[in-house]
Amino acid sequence: MARRGSPARLIVALSVAAVLAVFLLYTSIAGGGTPSLQPSQVAGHTGRVSLVGIVVGKPSGDAHAGGLHFLLRDRHAMASVPVVYKGSVPDLFKTGREVVVDGKLRNGVFVAVPNTLVTKCPSKYAPKK
Amino acid sequence: MSVALVVGALLAIGSVVLVAAPFLREPAPTDDRLLSPDAAQQRRLAVAEERDRALAALKELEFDHRTGKVSDDDYRELVGVLRQRAAETLRAGG
Amino acid sequence: MPDLGRAALVTAFLLLVYALVAGSFAAWRGRRRLAASAQNALIAAFGATVVATVVLLVALARHDFSFTYVAEHTSRELPLGYTLTAFWGGQEGSLLLWLLVLCGYSVAAVLTARRVGREVLAWVVPTLGLVGTFFALLLVFVASPFTTQVAPADGAGLNPSLQNPYMAVHPPLLYLGYVGLTVPFAFAIGALLARRTDERWIVQTRRWTLAAWAFLGVGQLLGAHWAYVEIGWGGYFAWDPVENAALMPWLAATAFLHSVMIQEKRGMLKVWNVLLVVLAFDLSLFGTFLTRSGIIQSIHSFTQSSIGPWFLGFICLITAGSLGLIFLRLPLLRAKTRLESLVSREATFLYNNLLLVALALTILWGVVYPLLSEAVTGEAATVSKPYYNFFLHSFGLPLLLLMGIGPLVAWRRASLRALGRTFLWPLSAAAAAGAALLVAGAGSSRVGVIAYTFSVFVLASIVLEFARGTSARRALGGVGWLGAFSSLVARNRRRYGGYVVHAAVVLLAIGVAGSSAYQTVREARLHPGDSMTVAGNRLVFRGFEAKTESNHRAIRANVDVYRGDKYLGRYRPGKNQYFAEDQVSNEVSIRHDLLTGGDLFLIADQVNADGSVDLKALQKPLVNLLWLAGLVFVGGSLIALWPDAREERRLAERYEGAAVRV
Repeated sequence: MARRGSPARLIVALSVAAVLAVFLLYTSIAGGGTPSLQPSQVAGHTGRVSLVGIVVGKPSGDAHAGGLHFLLRDRHAMASVPVVYKGSVPDLFKTGREVVVDGKLRNGVFVAVPNTLVTKCPSKYAPKK
Repeated sequence: MSVALVVGALLAIGSVVLVAAPFLREPAPTDDRLLSPDAAQQRRLAVAEERDRALAALKELEFDHRTGKVSDDDYRELVGVLRQRAAETLRAGG
Repeated sequence: MPDLGRAALVTAFLLLVYALVAGSFAAWRGRRRLAASAQNALIAAFGATVVATVVLLVALARHDFSFTYVAEHTSRELPLGYTLTAFWGGQEGSLLLWLLVLCGYSVAAVLTARRVGREVLAWVVPTLGLVGTFFALLLVFVASPFTTQVAPADGAGLNPSLQNPYMAVHPPLLYLGYVGLTVPFAFAIGALLARRTDERWIVQTRRWTLAAWAFLGVGQLLGAHWAYVEIGWGGYFAWDPVENAALMPWLAATAFLHSVMIQEKRGMLKVWNVLLVVLAFDLSLFGTFLTRSGIIQSIHSFTQSSIGPWFLGFICLITAGSLGLIFLRLPLLRAKTRLESLVSREATFLYNNLLLVALALTILWGVVYPLLSEAVTGEAATVSKPYYNFFLHSFGLPLLLLMGIGPLVAWRRASLRALGRTFLWPLSAAAAAGAALLVAGAGSSRVGVIAYTFSVFVLASIVLEFARGTSARRALGGVGWLGAFSSLVARNRRRYGGYVVHAAVVLLAIGVAGSSAYQTVREARLHPGDSMTVAGNRLVFRGFEAKTESNHRAIRANVDVYRGDKYLGRYRPGKNQYFAEDQVSNEVSIRHDLLTGGDLFLIADQVNADGSVDLKALQKPLVNLLWLAGLVFVGGSLIALWPDAREERRLAERYEGAAVRV
C-alpha cells in the first residue's frame, strides 16, 4: 500500500510549473493588457490605451470616409475628449451610449485604431438604471 | 381569480400531503433507521468493484492485443499479472 | 394571478428549505421516513415551480402588462413565439428557468438513483435542496418575476437581436447544461458526506454528466451560430466574458468526463475527480453570476446590482464547504494504485486533464483580471483576443494532438515499439497532409498548418481504431464487416461514441483554423454599379430596397455575386430599424458554398444618404465545418449515452449483490 513517490505527482508539479512559466512569459511580453481609461485619466498616457466613455453631443463625419468625429465623456464627471474614428460602427452606437475604443491621444485628440469601436450594450440582465 | 385560488390551494395541500406521506403511511414503523452498509457489506462492494475492474482490464488487454496496440511481449508480461489479480478477486468475492 | 405566482415561489422556497434542513437531519441521524419526506419535498418544490412557470407563461401569452416583467420584455406586435420565449429574456425569468430546470433534474436524478444507496441519497437530497434554496431565495426576496405595476398601453419589446430562432433555444439548452452539472456535484458531495469511497456515485451520475456536457456544448455552438448570422461581424466567438462563462465549465466538465474513466478503470485520482466536479459546478455558478450581475460593465455597477453580492456569497459558501469536506475526507480518498508509466493511456488522460484545466484557468484569469486590477489600482485593464488566442494555441494544439495519441496507447504501460507500429499510419498521413498543405500555400499561417496536420493525425487514428476494432471483431468469426462494425459499437458505446465526439472536435478545429487563419477581408464604398472583388468573387452593388414590416423597417443592399462569368446569385445585406425598441440591427447576407464548405459573408456596414453602401465582404474557408461538427457531436453523444442492456445487468448484479436491504 506504500506510495513510493508516484510519477503522477511529479507530472502535476512539472505541469503547473510549465503553465506558470508560459503564463509569466506571455504577460511579460504582452505587458499585461491594455490600460482601460476614462477621458479624465487619458491625458499624459502616450501609448495605446482603451478609452471608455459616454458619447455626448452629435457625432459628425463619416467613419468610412474622412472619419467619424465624436466626444466621449467620463461616466460620472464632465471631462471629455474628442475622438476621431475610422472603421465599422456598431449598430448600437448613438449619443448617450457607453463605448470602448482603442487608440492614442495625439495633440488633444484621441486618434482611434480602426475597427476597435465597441458599444457596451446594456446587459439584458443588468438592473434598469 | 378563482382559478388562481383553486390552483394555489391544490398546490398547498398537495405539498403538505407529499411531505407528510412517509409519516402517514407508516405511523408506527417497526424500524425507522436509515441503514448504511456495514463494514462487511462495504468490503463486499469494494471487492465486487475490484473484480469487475480486473475482469475489464483483462478483456481490454485481449482486445488491445488483437488490434495491435499491445505487442506480443507486453501482452505476455501483463496477461499473467492481470489473470492472477482477477483470480484473486474472484476468490475473495466468492 | 401574480399572487399565485408569488405564492408558488414562496411555497417552493419553503419546501426547498425543508428538503435542506430536514434532509440533513435525516441523513445525519439516519431517519428513514424523514429522509423520504425530504425527498418528497423536492418533488413538491418542482410542482410549485411548474405552477409559477405556467403563471408567467400565461401572463406573457395574454400580454398582461400589469406584470412588470411582461411589460419590460414584450410588446403587442411581438410574434407569439418570441413572446413566450421572452420568459427567459430577462433576469427574473431566467432565474425562474434555472430553478425549474434544477428542480426537474433533482427529481429525475433522485427518483432514478437505484444504485447509489439510500445512505448516499439521503445526503444528495439536502445538497440539491441547498442549491435550490439559493435560487428560490433570490426569486422570492431579491428578483421576483411577479412584481406588478399599473399596466401601460404597450410593453417595451424584446431586444431585436433576441428575435431569432437561435436565441429562443440557446438559453434553455445552456441551462440544461449549467444546471445539469449540479447533479454530479450533489452526488459527489453526498458520497463524501456519507463517507463512501466506492464508484457508485460516478456510475450513477455518468449519464447525467454526459448529457449536461453535451447540452452545454451544443448550446455554445448554437450561440456561436447566432453570433455569426445575427450579430454579424463576420466571426462567431469573441472571448466575451459571457461566452467565456459557458466555455470554462464545459472545459472542466470535459476534463471530468475523461478522468472519471481512469477512476473507474484503475481506482486512481479520486481526490482529483472530486475537485474537478466541484470546479465544474463552481464555474457554472460563476458563469451564471457573470452574465447576471452586471459585473462585466465595471466593478462599480456590480455593487449597484442586486443579484451580484448574493451570487458571490453563495459561490464562496459552496467552494469553502466543498473544499473543507474534501479535506476532511482526504484519508478515505487515498488511492491504492499508482501511475505505472508516463507513456500509458492513464498518463495521456492526465496530460489532457492538466491542459484542459490550465486552459479554463487562463480564461478565468482573463475574465477576472480587469475587475481585480480596477479594484486594486483604480485603473481597469482590458484583456483582449491576443491573450486568449495565445493560450488557445498553446494548450489547444497539444490537446488536439493528444486526442489522436490517447486512443492508440494502451492502459498501464505502452512500449515504444508497439507505439511506433500503431502510430505509423496516422503519422504518415499527417506528414503527407502537412507537405501537401505547404505546397498548396497554407504556410501563410503556421498555426493553421499545425492545426490541420494534427487534425489529419487524429482523424486517421480514429478511422484506424474503428477499422482495427471491426476487423478484430470479425476475426472472432460469425459476422461480416457490417455486423462486426455494429456489434463493435454496440458493445462499447461509450468508447466509440467518444471517438465520434473526438471526430466532431477535429472538424471544429479544422473549421476554426480555416475560417480564422485563412480568411480574406475586403471593404469598399460602392455606388450603384460599382464592384469589388474578394477571393475571386466579384460583387456588384445594384442599389437599395426598403420595406416596412410589422415591427421594423428593412433596408437592403442588392449585391450580385459573380465568379468569373458565372452568376452566383443576388445577396441582400442590410439593416433593420425597430420601431418600439428604437434600435438598428445588422442583417448580414451569407452565401454558403457547399462544395468547399466556405462562406461568402456580406455586411452592409453603413447605409449612406447618397445611395452608396460601405460594404464589407469576408471569405471564410471551411466555416461550415463548425456546424457540421455540431451534428456529429450530437450523434457521438447519443451513441455514448445510449443505455446498454448488458452493462445495466452487470452493474445491477454488482450493486444489488452487495446492496443493503432496507
